[in-house]
Amino acid sequence: MLLMAGSLQAQDVSNPGTSAVDVNLDQIKPVPILTGSTAYFSRVTGGTYQDTPSVSPLLLLPMGDKWLLEAKGSYSDSFAKNAAGDFTGTNSYGLGYAQIDYIANRFVTLTAGRFITPFNIYGERLAPNWIRPLQVAPLTSPLTSGSALGGMMRGGFPAGTENLNVTYALYFSANNTHHLLATDRSTGGRVSFFLPQQRLEIGASFQQVLQLDRPHAAGVFLEWQPNHAPLTLRSEYARTSGTKGSSYWIESVYRLSQIPISTLRRLELVGRGEQFFTADDLSASTIKKLGALGKDTQEGDFGLNYYFRTDVRASASYGRQFVLGKDANIWSFGMTYRFVMPLGPSGRNM
Amino acid sequence: MKIRSATSATLLTIAMFLALAAAANAGSNNSKDSAKDAPAATASAAPANAPSANPASATTATAPAAQDEDFHLEGERRFRSNCGRCHAAPVKFPPRMMATIVRHMRVRAAITNQDMRLILRYMTE
Repeated sequence: MLLMAGSLQAQDVSNPGTSAVDVNLDQIKPVPILTGSTAYFSRVTGGTYQDTPSVSPLLLLPMGDKWLLEAKGSYSDSFAKNAAGDFTGTNSYGLGYAQIDYIANRFVTLTAGRFITPFNIYGERLAPNWIRPLQVAPLTSPLTSGSALGGMMRGGFPAGTENLNVTYALYFSANNTHHLLATDRSTGGRVSFFLPQQRLEIGASFQQVLQLDRPHAAGVFLEWQPNHAPLTLRSEYARTSGTKGSSYWIESVYRLSQIPISTLRRLELVGRGEQFFTADDLSASTIKKLGALGKDTQEGDFGLNYYFRTDVRASASYGRQFVLGKDANIWSFGMTYRFVMPLGPSGRNM
Repeated sequence: MKIRSATSATLLTIAMFLALAAAANAGSNNSKDSAKDAPAATASAAPANAPSANPASATTATAPAAQDEDFHLEGERRFRSNCGRCHAAPVKFPPRMMATIVRHMRVRAAITNQDMRLILRYMTE
């Protein structure tokens, strides 16, 4: 990784930014930021009611022109009815990622620490609750190892033309058994091709776990935003070689921004369909151990998001999950608030 | 009874949230909202005289005002095609905050260097 970064650094030196535009931009010194989101959601899953307030702070600490320290934590308290009939809260907290990034040049960024595994698009891009169109996570999420502890090389660059960007990520993770920071020893990566004018991205991912029964996972994804409509179409497919099976989801998000009634322009309609297929030839004990991943599942979700402001959103959704012998309704409603605050002077040239 | 209490507490919390959001919304600039909330799909195609992907390589033949407008349009287009893929358009933050946010998004969303510079320029105008 370092050798490649060094050689590409040499190429980068030949293209220094010397225009007035670059000079102006380079005079802007980034300031540390505390950002993140808070949320309060109520869910009813198969008749079981649950209230969950949560907060996910994210610290962004830029250093110099090329370094960035990112650390994201999470805390939530889930209130649900226990066996005695009382509502009790269960705290949970964790460290989403704590990574240091070095932007080596136009082609390479090096990352070290704990980071989100670059597999398809949901985990890295859509998972934050102020971003995800539906609060219910898709069935592909538990198929792969979601966090990594190690190093990553990634980047995005135009592929010879302004109408094609290539993005990539390669990583290696060590095994960690700490109950809050557990990761698998694994390696993998992702590559995607993005057509900015068509606003179409297609990509593929691979992950190889290097411990226990050493399963691997492969996935493909697609994201498209037509230029003529405020519509987003996304899809992911993932398949594992181990006991976790395969799954796909297709999601559409339509913003009613073309409606003449200004209030409704802030409304977003979301629909998602997904299927999960168990691995072949699972033993009864394995099925029991896998829990939700041990049964074929189909699910359809429909949701509404209303943006009071760009950072305050109310969400509601209904889903129907079809599992053999245990169909269930999934209701979710609540609000998210994304906060951003500087930890220093935020004006220009300071 | 306890379920009713929990439901009431939930509804009360949501009502407070809605009231806070409405109050905050009332103070926001309507014109700014309409512009920022515009869907990503309203982004126009690249202008015929759009600047080069790398601002550093932009020609100096164009008049400064026209060049600024080209950078603005191209920055907006790249902002919508990159950032609008995942989340609603945020408000514009002060320049030093935007520099941090754009650096963060360059890493997380693998935005190209050219896109990052044009987006930063657009978001700090």
